[in-house]
Amino acid sequence: MSDRPPRPAVLASDRLPRPAVLAAVAVAAVLLAFPFYLDSFWLQTGLFAMSAAIGAIGLNLLTGATGQLSLGHAFFLAVGAYGYVYLASDGESRPGHELAGLGLPTPVAFLGAVLLAGAAGGLFSPIAGRLRGTYLGIASLALIFIGQHVLFNAEPLTGGFNGRDVPPLALPGVTFADSPELVVFNVPLGALERLWFLGLALLALAAWLARGILRGRPGRALNTIRDHEVAAAVLGVPVARYRAGVFVLSSMYAGAAGALLALVFRRTVPEYFGMFLSLDYLAMIVIGGLGTAAGAVAGAVFVTLLPQLLTRYSDGLPLVAAPGSGGVSPAEAARVLYGAAVVAVVLFLPGGLLGMWARLRAVRARRRAAPPHPGLDQKEQPA
Amino acid sequence: MRRLVRTAVLPVGLAAALLAASGCSDKATGGSGGTAADGVKLGPGVTDKGVKVGIVSDLTGVYAPLGKSLTQAQQLYFEEVNKAGGVCGRQVEVVVRDHGYDVQRAMAAYSELRSGVVGITQFIGSPMVTALKQRISSDKLFTIPMAWSTSLLGNQYVQVTGTTYDVDAINALDFLSTDKGLKKGDKVGHVYFEGDYGESALAGAKHAAGKLGLTLVEQKIKATDNDMTAQAAALRNAGVKAILMSAGPRQSASLAGVARSRGLTVPIVASNSGFAPQLLQTPAAPALLKEFYLTSAGAPIGADIPAVQKLAAAYAAKYPGQPRDNAVVNGYTSAGLFTAALKKACAGKDLSRDGVIKAHRSTGAYDDGFGTPMDFSSADRPGTRKTYILRTDAKALGGLVIHKPAAESAMAKEYQVPTGG
Amino acid sequence: MSTFAELLVNGISMGSVYALIALGFVIIFRATEVVNFAHASLLLVGGYITAVLHDDVGFLLALAAGIAGAALVGAAVELLVLRRARVENHAVLAIVTIGVDIVLTTELTRQIGTEVLSLGDPWQSKVVNIGSVSIAQTRIAALLTAAALITVFLLAFRHTSWGLAMRTAAEDAETAALMGVRLTRVSLGAWAVAGALAAVAALFLTVFPTPGLDRATSFAAMKAFPAAILGGLDSTTGALAGGLIIGLTESLVTGYQGDLAFLGRGVGEVAPYLVMLAVLLVRPAGLFGTRELTRV
Repeated sequence: MSDRPPRPAVLASDRLPRPAVLAAVAVAAVLLAFPFYLDSFWLQTGLFAMSAAIGAIGLNLLTGATGQLSLGHAFFLAVGAYGYVYLASDGESRPGHELAGLGLPTPVAFLGAVLLAGAAGGLFSPIAGRLRGTYLGIASLALIFIGQHVLFNAEPLTGGFNGRDVPPLALPGVTFADSPELVVFNVPLGALERLWFLGLALLALAAWLARGILRGRPGRALNTIRDHEVAAAVLGVPVARYRAGVFVLSSMYAGAAGALLALVFRRTVPEYFGMFLSLDYLAMIVIGGLGTAAGAVAGAVFVTLLPQLLTRYSDGLPLVAAPGSGGVSPAEAARVLYGAAVVAVVLFLPGGLLGMWARLRAVRARRRAAPPHPGLDQKEQPA
Repeated sequence: MRRLVRTAVLPVGLAAALLAASGCSDKATGGSGGTAADGVKLGPGVTDKGVKVGIVSDLTGVYAPLGKSLTQAQQLYFEEVNKAGGVCGRQVEVVVRDHGYDVQRAMAAYSELRSGVVGITQFIGSPMVTALKQRISSDKLFTIPMAWSTSLLGNQYVQVTGTTYDVDAINALDFLSTDKGLKKGDKVGHVYFEGDYGESALAGAKHAAGKLGLTLVEQKIKATDNDMTAQAAALRNAGVKAILMSAGPRQSASLAGVARSRGLTVPIVASNSGFAPQLLQTPAAPALLKEFYLTSAGAPIGADIPAVQKLAAAYAAKYPGQPRDNAVVNGYTSAGLFTAALKKACAGKDLSRDGVIKAHRSTGAYDDGFGTPMDFSSADRPGTRKTYILRTDAKALGGLVIHKPAAESAMAKEYQVPTGG
Repeated sequence: MSTFAELLVNGISMGSVYALIALGFVIIFRATEVVNFAHASLLLVGGYITAVLHDDVGFLLALAAGIAGAALVGAAVELLVLRRARVENHAVLAIVTIGVDIVLTTELTRQIGTEVLSLGDPWQSKVVNIGSVSIAQTRIAALLTAAALITVFLLAFRHTSWGLAMRTAAEDAETAALMGVRLTRVSLGAWAVAGALAAVAALFLTVFPTPGLDRATSFAAMKAFPAAILGGLDSTTGALAGGLIIGLTESLVTGYQGDLAFLGRGVGEVAPYLVMLAVLLVRPAGLFGTRELTRV
C-alpha cells in the first residue's frame, strides 16, 4: 500500500475542471495503471497497438493530411527496427556467422534509428517529391520488395532469414528487460511492463508533435497541397519541398514505430515487414479518420486489437468457429471484418471512427443546448 | 494558472489512488505451483483435474494445409487420451491458436499461452520459433516445433521430432549413389528455399557431396516462386544426374513437370515437406509419378504398420473427406511423445515445467510403434538419423509408399550436426 | 543460346499475361481515376469459378463462366462500393479497393482451402520443340490469346462508341457528361472488362509449369502493378509495353541469376521494381503516360 494518501479531495471540493480535461486525465491514469493488472498477452497487444499508432500517425501526416499514398511504410518500419539493432548491438563473429554492429549506447541507437529511417525517406525524395498520389503509391511499393530483398540477403547487417536479437534499451536507472528485477507496489515489472511506460511516453510525444504540426502553419500548407496543389503553389507554398519534407517526417515516425516494435519483439525477422503490413497501416488511418493524430491512434487500436480479440474469445462468439474445427476461423473472421470496416467507414462514416465520435458529441451538444433532462447530463459524462 | 496547477495535480492524485489499489492486483508477487492432493507437484497449466496443452499453428496462412492436418491429428490424439482417462488422471484441454504465418500474431499467441499451458505440442514456423527461442528458454516451456532445421537444435526445451533436413539430404545422396548409380564426378542439382529449411538441407548435401565426390549445382529459390522453368533449364544445361529438392509441394510439382516435359528424366529426391497428395490431382501428376522420391524420418500414412493403419482409419472416421497426408502421422506422433513426457513426469510426481522437461530429456530410447524410434537425451542431436525413402504411388493412401525402409547411412552416422545454440 | 531463346519466349509470354492484368488497371484508372487494388481478387474469382466448373461442363464453358463471373464481380464492386463512395481524395478510393480485396481474397482462399485446383486446360504439360528450344504449349497459348485479346480491345477502344465514350470520359469527365456520355455506364463497363481480362490472366497464371490455382496465386497479380505504372497508368499502349518489359526482365534476371549472384539470390523478384523506379526517375508519368496538365 502506498503511504501517501490519494487526493481525490481536490476534485470534490473545488469546481470541476472541464470534462474533456478530466476525461483525458482519467484515461492517462488508467493507462498508467494497466501494467499493474494486465497479463503479458494484453500488455504485448497494447504495445503492438502503441507502436502501430505511432506509425499510423506518421502515415496520416503523409496520406491523410497531404494526400500522398504510400505503400512503403513497412519498409521504413524495417529501417527503424534493423537500424536500432545494428546501432545498438556489438558485432559478433563466429565462424560462418558474422554480424556487424556499432555497439552504441542504446538510447543513442534509438534516436539514430529514427534518423536513419528519416534519411531513408530523404533518399527516396527524388521520387517522393516528383510523383503524385497513385504513382507515388505504387512506386513506394518497390521499397517493400527491395527492402525485403536486402533484409534477406545482407546477412552481416540483418542476420538474413533468421533475423537478429534486439538488445534491450537501457536508460539511466532502468533497463527494459526482465532482469534486473524491479518490483513496484508489490508487482514485479518485467520487460513488457516497463516497455509499456516507454511506449506511452513515445506515443504521447509523437501525437503531441503531430498535433502541433497539423494545427500550425505547416499543417495548413499540407492540407492545401492535398486539396489543390496549384492553389497551394500560387499561395506561395513550396510544394515540392513540403512534399519531400512530409515524406521524411512520416518515415521518421515509422522508424520510431519500428524501433519500439523491435524492443517488444526482442528479435527482428524480415518476414514481418512485407506488403500486408503496409496495407494494414493504410486501413488504420482510413478506419480511424484521415488527417488527424487521434484518428490514427483510434484506427491503430482497432486494427491491432480486432484479430487478437477474435482469436482469444473465439469460443464465445457466434458464427466464429474455434481454430482447427472447420468453418470460419477467427483469423478469417478478423480479416473479413477489417476489410469490411474499411469499406463501411468510407461509405457510411466519412471521417472514420473519430468523425463518428465528433458527430456524437455534436448531437449531444445540441441536445444539451435544448432544455436539459435532469440527470441525463451526468450519465453521459465520459468516464 | 490555477487551472494549470490543478491539471498537474490531478494525474498525480489519480495515479496514486490507482496504484494504491494495485495491492489487490492478481500480478502481485506470490507463489505459484503447489502440490495437488495426489502428491503431484503442479506447475503452470496443470491443476488437480486438468492439463492444458498449447498448439500454435498456421491454419489460414501459407502453411495452412500442413497446420490443418497436424492440428486435427493432435486433437484426435488428445481426444483418445481423454477417453482413456487422461494424463495422470487429468483431462487434457487443447488450446489452439492460429497465427496465419504472421510473426506478430505468433508472438501474441505465445504470450497468451506461456503462463497457462504445460507445453506447446505444435509450433509452426521456424522464423517464429527462432524469434521466441530466448523466451521459450526463460519460460522453460517444452515446445515441439514443426520445422526441422538445425538452428532449432541445441535448446533444451525445444524438441525437433524425427530428423533434421541436413541428415535427410545426406541419406538422400547416399540412396542416389548406392541405388541410382551416381558416381564420383557426377553433378547433382539442389533446388532449395532461402532460409533455414533450404540452408540446413544444403549444409547436409554439401557434406555428403564432398564425401562422395559429387558436384552440387545449387539453385536457390523463394517460397513465392511457382514456376521452375528457369531452374529446370539451368539444371538440364549443367547435365545433372539427379536432383535434390528442398522446397514446397508447389515447387516440386512445377520442377518435376518442367523437367519431365523437356526430357530430363533423372531421379528427383525431395525433402519431407516437398510433397502433398493433392498434387496428384493436378496436371503435374504424371511427372510426379516418375522417379520421384521423398526422404522422411516418419512413416507415410499409407505405410503397412499396424499403428499407422489404425490412425489412418480413425482419422478418416473423425474427419471424413479431409486429405490424409504424412502430417497426420507427424502431428499424432508428436502429440504422443509430448504426452509420454507428461506421463513420465507424472510417475515422478512432478508436473512442474522443470519436471516435464527432465522427464522428457531422460528418455533415451523412445518407440511409439509408428516406425520412428527416437532418442531425446541430447538437445544437440536430432532424435534419429534414420530416414525412409518413399516413392510416389497414385493408388496409395497419401500418394506415397515406402521404397526403402528407414536406415541410417554411414555418412549420416559420423556427420556432426551443427546446432543453433 | 537456346537458353536465351527459351527465356525470351517465356518472358514475352508471361509479359503478355501481365499486360492483360495491367490493361485492366489502366481501363479502370482511365474511367474512374481509381487504382484497383482488388484486381488480385478478381483474378482469383475467375480462376476459382473455372476450376470448380471444368469437371462438369468442360474447359471452354468453365472458362467462359469464369470470365463472366469475374466481370460480374468487377461490376458489382463498382456498383455497390465505388459509386457510393463520395470521396474526393483518390487515395481513399484506392484504399477502399484494398478493403474489398481483403474481404474477397479471404473468402476465396477459405473456399480453396488446402487444395491445389487444376483449371482443366487442354494443353497440360505438353511442350513444343523448335530445334534445341523447348517451349511449353501453355506459354504459346498465353501469348496468342493475350495478343488477340489486346488487339480486339484496342480496336474496340478506337472504333466503337463504347471506346469513344471511354476516351472522352477519361479526357474530361464533365464535358463528356455534358455531351451525353453516361459516365456511370462507362465506369461500370470498365470494371466488367477489367474483371474479364483478369479471369483470362488467371488461367495463364495457374497452368503448367505452375501447379494450379491455390491461395498463392493472387500474389502474381502484384507484378502487374509495376507494369501498369511504368507504362503509364492512363495509357493502353503503356500497359502493353510495361507488361512485356516486366515479363522479360523477370524471366531474364531469374534465368541468369547465377551470373548476378552479387546482387543476392532471388533478385528476379525485385528486378521489375528496380526497372520501374528507374523509368519513373526519368519519366514521372511512365513511358507513355500523359503528363498531367493542371487546370486552375
